[in-house]
Amino acid sequence: MENYAIEMLNITKRFPGIIANDNITLQLKKGEIHALLGENGAGKSTLMSVLFGLYQPEEGVIKKDGEVVKINDPNDANRLGIGMVHQHFKLVECFSVLDNIILGVEPNTAGFLQKAEAKQKVLALSDKYGLQVDPDALIEDITVGMQQRTEILKMLYRDNEILIFDEPTAVLTPQEIQELMQIMKGLAKEGKSILFISHKLNEIMEVADRCSVLRKGKYIGTVEIANTTKEELSRMMVGRDVEFVVAKDPAQPTDVVLNVEGMTVASKMHHNNAVKNVSLQVRRGEIVCIAGIDGNGQTEFVYGISGLEPLKAGKIEFLGQDITKAPIRKRNVMGMSHIPEDRHKHGLVLDYTLENNLVLQRYFEPEFTSKAGFLRKGNIRKYAEKLIDQYDVRSGQGPITPARAMSGGNQQKAIVAREIDKNPELLIAVQPTRGLDVGAIEYIHKQIVKHRDAGNAVLLVSLELEEVMSLSDRILVMYEGEIVGELDPKTTTVEELGLYMAGAKRQ
Amino acid sequence: MLLLVQYTLVFASVLLLVALGGCISEHSGVINLALEGIMVIGALGGALVMKFLPYTHGESSQFLMFICVLGAAVLFGVIYSTLLAFACINLKADQTIVGTALNMLGTALATVVVKSMNTAISPDDHSSEIKYIDAKKAFLTNVGDFELNWFMIVAVIMLVVAFVLLYKTKFGLRLRACGEHPQAAASVGISVFKMRWAGVLLSGLLGGLGGITYITVGVSTWKFENGVAGFGFLSLAVMIFGAWHPFKIAGAALLFGLFRALGNVYNGFDFLKALNIPSAVYNMLPYIVSLIVLAFTSKKSRAPKAEGIPYDKGMR
Amino acid sequence: MKEKKSLLRNGGFQTFTTSIVCIILGMIVGFLALLIIEPSGAWGAIVAVIKNFFSYPSAAFRLQYFGSTLAKTAPLIFCSLSVLFAYKVGLFNIGAAGQYCLGIALALYLAIIVQLPWYICLLAGIAAGAISGALCGILKAFFNVNVVISGIMLNWISLYGTNLLLKPAMDPSGKDTFRLVNKAKQALLPTLGLDKLFNKNQYVTIAIPLAIIAAVVIWIILDKTKLGYELKATGNNLNAAKYCGMKENRNIVLTMVIAGGLAAMGGALYYLSDFEQWNVNASAVPGMGFNGIAAAFLGGLNPIGSIFSSYFITHITVGGGNVDLSRYCAQIADFISSVIIYLCGFVLFFKTFMNKRLDKAEEKKIARARAAAEAENKEGGNA
Repeated sequence: MENYAIEMLNITKRFPGIIANDNITLQLKKGEIHALLGENGAGKSTLMSVLFGLYQPEEGVIKKDGEVVKINDPNDANRLGIGMVHQHFKLVECFSVLDNIILGVEPNTAGFLQKAEAKQKVLALSDKYGLQVDPDALIEDITVGMQQRTEILKMLYRDNEILIFDEPTAVLTPQEIQELMQIMKGLAKEGKSILFISHKLNEIMEVADRCSVLRKGKYIGTVEIANTTKEELSRMMVGRDVEFVVAKDPAQPTDVVLNVEGMTVASKMHHNNAVKNVSLQVRRGEIVCIAGIDGNGQTEFVYGISGLEPLKAGKIEFLGQDITKAPIRKRNVMGMSHIPEDRHKHGLVLDYTLENNLVLQRYFEPEFTSKAGFLRKGNIRKYAEKLIDQYDVRSGQGPITPARAMSGGNQQKAIVAREIDKNPELLIAVQPTRGLDVGAIEYIHKQIVKHRDAGNAVLLVSLELEEVMSLSDRILVMYEGEIVGELDPKTTTVEELGLYMAGAKRQ
Repeated sequence: MLLLVQYTLVFASVLLLVALGGCISEHSGVINLALEGIMVIGALGGALVMKFLPYTHGESSQFLMFICVLGAAVLFGVIYSTLLAFACINLKADQTIVGTALNMLGTALATVVVKSMNTAISPDDHSSEIKYIDAKKAFLTNVGDFELNWFMIVAVIMLVVAFVLLYKTKFGLRLRACGEHPQAAASVGISVFKMRWAGVLLSGLLGGLGGITYITVGVSTWKFENGVAGFGFLSLAVMIFGAWHPFKIAGAALLFGLFRALGNVYNGFDFLKALNIPSAVYNMLPYIVSLIVLAFTSKKSRAPKAEGIPYDKGMR
Repeated sequence: MKEKKSLLRNGGFQTFTTSIVCIILGMIVGFLALLIIEPSGAWGAIVAVIKNFFSYPSAAFRLQYFGSTLAKTAPLIFCSLSVLFAYKVGLFNIGAAGQYCLGIALALYLAIIVQLPWYICLLAGIAAGAISGALCGILKAFFNVNVVISGIMLNWISLYGTNLLLKPAMDPSGKDTFRLVNKAKQALLPTLGLDKLFNKNQYVTIAIPLAIIAAVVIWIILDKTKLGYELKATGNNLNAAKYCGMKENRNIVLTMVIAGGLAAMGGALYYLSDFEQWNVNASAVPGMGFNGIAAAFLGGLNPIGSIFSSYFITHITVGGGNVDLSRYCAQIADFISSVIIYLCGFVLFFKTFMNKRLDKAEEKKIARARAAAEAENKEGGNA
């Protein structure tokens, strides 16, 4: 009889229209690091929501130390010693580290907070596990790595025995990832049981003892990491062999499309400048990638080029024209397209129909608006149908589906379709494949390469190292608002890239 | 001059009480646009007690009257605020529409109640007025020439209580977490619904207090058709100007109170009288000042991040 | 079966149903209030509210009072269009009440004091409201001031401003401004013979057809034009509007200009029809602007719908005046309409509730069908 810390047996959870979890079994041994592998939409988050009592499964049971338990809400999970570091941290930005750690389990006398002893406990824990934090610092002022350590301390402070890490490495530098792996191993050694949710095979191979794989809501199997390979895991996850590299010919750059000189953009988050004196060029026929850890000025850099934020200093030339002060509409009409980082914030009007979203950049053209200012709805419909067909955008009611009702992947496809179909001279693609499954990623990568091969310039901004390495022709690394290095993806390594991204190395 | 100070303080007390209510509600994540209506209903509760509770000039009777009026105003305010809480928290209704509806409803309801009551007492009386000339004296004490309104003291106490509650207690920490990042609060087992209910009910309490204070300033009869003349909204301006922090709100309330008081007492100042500015201009003053102040403070204002957004368990 | 489903799912149908539900619930609450006040006359009172002019015995009278109800509906349509238009662009124009005042102020001032003809008075009134709206829009777009709060502040400023401006136009025999018939005939709105249709009710003027035309124009702008596309995009997602190169700040200001102009137009037209006079000691803004909010939401935020909802609200408000005033008060109608707006806040909830029920019913049906199919398969297998 194995000694399991927590078991989820034959869990089935249905939602209208889909079965999110179909008879899934997950058994976590005491003191092991167990990876849960699956693509976006494979059912990992639903399974975790069931574990935390946010959803009740239609079938199946959860056992803790061999006994059936009922989990109705996160409090129950907490009482059973289950804690989780969420992919998007659950931290209150304007609270201190300490306040965030004690939130929900505040030491108090008659309701009045007693923080002194809590602080001692936090400091002791951070010493024991090597989790450096400043308890009095505000969350909004500290690095992402330290925020993650705060999240881990939150679990340890509650004496949780079962620690769940949901995609913990997405926002970290390679070096920080290494640190995290060490911390996880240390925790496991202390007897904590760890569930590590990820779709990154390298990390799983490195840190996990066993791995359970989900695909499209179904349980595929559990394997010992020692007896498996990366290729096998990937086959289990996707259901077929995947190309790890994007097929593309060497770049043949020609004339300069975008020329940026000394660009400086102020930050909205802090007093410092977010982009500091950046100069670069992008040519026809090449994909230039801005790599870096999230929050190092990439967002503001793109805002500066697309016109969403004014420049504090510097100059932008596009197709030989100075557009430093040009309004956004002019840049768009001149031939700049922008696949925005946040599709809900910028990319879509969620309450508009799909067809209205597809003409968001072109509705004012004579094809779609008559001289008197009336919309040509027939033409909009025709155009939308063409794009939907060509880019395989799927939705419930076709062109009249509200954008809100579409899946994230199809929303992203719609944006990509809209932006690429404009046939722009410069395509700015920020995180174009975020949250998509492997098939959609491959498809979008192909579209981007095709666009390059047609003689256009592409400026890619990505946080995914694999994407950076496989898609780009030239890599520029951004660190704290500056370009700290230019690398050739054919000759560089992920490790070297990481050193630049972490600011440990610069040219 | 003394009169100006007196009016400033008492109007500031009203604004402070109500703005603190708005502040607590917004820290929990609910924008309370219904403060105006809550004030009216709170005032109604207090006025009814003043009308019907027998009052003699003894000290014990005075104290009893004060406690009962205060209790009734609080009770009415809290009960009325449940309408907002239920709609905005449980049913996730649009907070602006519901707030507006409750403001209109407050005045309409109070008018209907007072008119029907007056008509029932004497069939020819169709006014919406309640008189409380005698009872009002229960909350006034003269300190020299200065007329101290007990509600000023209540306001100061509430200021301290609100500060301690928000920043020194477990409850306050949880409440603010719900207004900033309800998902984070929920993930550590805090019931966002409960905390938001608490926030709204507390704002009902403070709004009711503010309402009763408002109708005892300088007058001894109140016509409920008139509502409370936008004081609920002025208080929201005070709250924004005070950056959602109790002590800063107190400062803002004093400033706005001064401008409001000018409208009541400008006749007492010879140089103001000599200017011969129509009274309508003085009436407009607090509103104009608040617009200007808002124009300069709103851009950088730091409201609780999740305010106005209904909390949905399914959203993560 | 399929057709029935599509009807229940239809957004317009759902809006209509929820509005009816809101009305019925509002009426029930109103009735309960009447019962509490005085049980014996409650039924009579609620009937009086609902019947309004139908309670008059002669057909001619009924027609005349129907005309009056229509004359009062017109300004409400304008106010509800004002609220609705702004709301579609994501702005809550609670300032409609103040803009309405300013429309009245300028129109009456120019009519009575300067003795200008009606169309100039009307245009000036509209301009005043539009400027006030613009101020609200500028404060929002460039200073990030909450439109609800600035709207309320502007309401009070407008109220006192109107009192100040119209003081010289006051009829010394009372507190109201002069009747236009007596002092400013040139400013009376033309009736185009409409008055004759309603038993010579001189208050039935071009204001009524203008209100309906305005509703249709707003509907066309919002639904059929590039401008509407831009404005709605700005309202739904300011960042996306900016991202695709719309001038989002201009759109906000423009919206408020139009909304302010609409509300002011309602006020100017109504007072230029001489139906009411302005009380220069008014201590609160007229309820018309706030009722506009009720009408806009009750009409399902549809310009055409707001014609009907405005009529309904006016109908019960005027009907409120018919209750037995020795026992009840006319504000019972205000009470009912504020309950109705409160309920309108739940529209989203009603709709999701309805859709969830439909989803569940469908799921059950599918499950049943699947079970039946499986059973059939089994039988087939057995055979």
